[in-house]
Amino acid sequence: MSKRITVDPVTRIEGHLRIDVEVDGGKVTKAWSSGQMWRGIENILKGRDPREAWLFTQRFCGVCTTVHAVASVRAVENAVGLEIPVNAQYIRNLIVAAHAMHDHIVHFFHLSALDWVDVVSALKADPAATAKLAQSLSPWHRNSVQEFEAVKAKLAGFVDRGQLGIFANGYWGHQAMKLPPEVNLLAVSHYLQALDYQRTANKVVAILGSKTPNIQNLAVGGVANAINLDNQSTINMNTLWEIKTHLEEMQAFIQHVYLTDVCAIGALYPDWLGYGAGVTNYLAVPDLPLDAAGTQFDLPGGTIMGGDIKTFKPIGSFQEKYFADNVSESIAHSWYDGDWQKHPYEEDTTPLYTDFQDDGKYSWVKAPRFQDKPMQVGPLAQVLVGFASGHEPTVKWLNWAIDKASGVAGIRIQPAMLHSTLGRHLARAVRCMVIAETSLKHWQLLVDNIARGDTTTFNKPEFTGRQMGFGFHEAPRGTLSHFVVIQDGKIENYQAVVPSTWNAGPRDGQGRPGPYESSLVGNPIADAERPLEVLRTIHSFDPCLACAVHTLDPEGRELGTVRVL
Amino acid sequence: MTAEHDPGTAAVAVLGLGNVLMGDDALGPWVVAQLAAAYDFPPEVEVLDLGTPGLDLHPHIAGRRALVLVDVVRSDAPAGTLRRYTKDEILRHVPGPRVSPHDPGVKEALLSLEFAGGGPAEVVLVGVVPQEVSSGTSLSAPVRAAADAAVQAVVDELVRLGCPPRRRAAPAAPDLWWEAAGGA
Repeated sequence: MSKRITVDPVTRIEGHLRIDVEVDGGKVTKAWSSGQMWRGIENILKGRDPREAWLFTQRFCGVCTTVHAVASVRAVENAVGLEIPVNAQYIRNLIVAAHAMHDHIVHFFHLSALDWVDVVSALKADPAATAKLAQSLSPWHRNSVQEFEAVKAKLAGFVDRGQLGIFANGYWGHQAMKLPPEVNLLAVSHYLQALDYQRTANKVVAILGSKTPNIQNLAVGGVANAINLDNQSTINMNTLWEIKTHLEEMQAFIQHVYLTDVCAIGALYPDWLGYGAGVTNYLAVPDLPLDAAGTQFDLPGGTIMGGDIKTFKPIGSFQEKYFADNVSESIAHSWYDGDWQKHPYEEDTTPLYTDFQDDGKYSWVKAPRFQDKPMQVGPLAQVLVGFASGHEPTVKWLNWAIDKASGVAGIRIQPAMLHSTLGRHLARAVRCMVIAETSLKHWQLLVDNIARGDTTTFNKPEFTGRQMGFGFHEAPRGTLSHFVVIQDGKIENYQAVVPSTWNAGPRDGQGRPGPYESSLVGNPIADAERPLEVLRTIHSFDPCLACAVHTLDPEGRELGTVRVL
Repeated sequence: MTAEHDPGTAAVAVLGLGNVLMGDDALGPWVVAQLAAAYDFPPEVEVLDLGTPGLDLHPHIAGRRALVLVDVVRSDAPAGTLRRYTKDEILRHVPGPRVSPHDPGVKEALLSLEFAGGGPAEVVLVGVVPQEVSSGTSLSAPVRAAADAAVQAVVDELVRLGCPPRRRAAPAAPDLWWEAAGGA
């Protein structure tokens, strides 16, 4: 007898994602992923000045602000055929890198670790044993007995006062929670430390972007930052050293805490290397450009089909036709008028809501396809593409992570196991480490270029007649692309194909499910009333349905529900 | 382990929350734009439009003495109703089961600072009940009608907190860039 479970909404941050699963014999047999809010905010851009588009696009989503700003200026620059100064590339790259580090740390420690870590169990931990374990894993300076004693006391104080505050309503004591108390205490301690380092990463974005969230320093054609090493109000040597210090702190935290913890916690859940593969076609675009035209990058892009790294095909430049020509979106199961599959330049957005129909239309999210195939985007795609292309930092840190995790697990983890729920977490931490290391290289590139006397940061765009272009950015959650059609200096059409659309999209015209939907099939469900396993797999994608409204609910209506029928 | 007060961070912050592309959700940024144009603030007060930051609120509230939040609020009261909520009222209902808290990060950010230490002692939310939260770049008539009172409510809170702003003799035009013509 099969059961239907509806989890609504599933994101721990804003957005309305509804997941429905059918469960039979303790396993998921069928799944639906549904975006519950109409965006349509691309329409607001029509008729506007393309030089201002990024100010609007960075308000699409309050969490992914920077990424939509970067993709937008790249799209307009592509449309008008404009190269930007290398200083501007490096400055954007530092913002992109700092934002990514911030985002990944928040995602793991504050949004998804609690799917695996039982906070209440940490009260049973021995701080001395926790410190011994932590020190065996990494040389991090904040792994002392005193540190763990203090956190345990703090947690006990919370529980004694009869409230768990931020940890209330977790699935504590769930039978799928497997970590020993010491690992739980370690993770809760690092949860607190991560709050500090989240702020450190944010400072880099704030210094360069002059404000966060919603940076102010971008421009179509470069950045608005002035560089003058002798001027206190511009980028100078003091600000550059401050940035370097923050980046070094981030790198240490990411290696010795984030990546190490993911390896250790993951190794204690080896079953989850066997669940959650789903769609094994992968797409990542290149990022951290090294030249004015965007033809050389420090992070590689490309595609992998059917989980076979031998099928790797590179995406090599901001002009890459292999990317631009092969993206389309289907609305066969989405609440829009019609059932077409179109290229983003040709799309229109006419809503047509029907109600949730299992075999009909059931989502506001469209179903993007690449060469007509569903694709998984995100850190796992980024790492597999890096591995397939022989990208040295990716290979190095992936091997480091596999060695670390295998040591704890007592089994040899194989790269094929990365096609899984846990593989996505491991890949995200590896990617974050690669970005941390590479960000320092880009800091040096910027300093060296300034030292050569180049302080240029802006080239002026020219608009004439009809200009069409696309811009992409490999965001923390995966491939983000913006498509723009400009007529006589005004926006005629604008479409954003966002990472969570690739992953959270519904079935297409051929009935093929998207990555969330197919990754859930086969997952075990121990307790239908508390479907922790569904959350584990969905959270591993780092969902963010970027609809971003912000109505507060201080009168306390219950928003989240789990329904079992 | 406690949140550091970043140098240069003002002790009191007025934070406008909301999405300027989603109709009445723009109330928070709208109020911040009016305040910035019409008032001078003492150095211990910072006035910020934060958009919809979710958990990224954290760096903006850690180490503060007091917060005045401005946002639209879900309520059964009619659109345009102005409400005031205290920290206890905001936190009374903890974020629902772990699947739910898209309730956008204010409660979670405050609660995580309650645990970590360094959270603001005083939090007041100036809220207005919205009529229409959907794609669009202007406030609805009932929310626009309440918005000036929301600006005054923030000023009153700052007076109460002992850091009154001074109304400028010649206010600037508020920077409501998202409302400017040009869109379809």
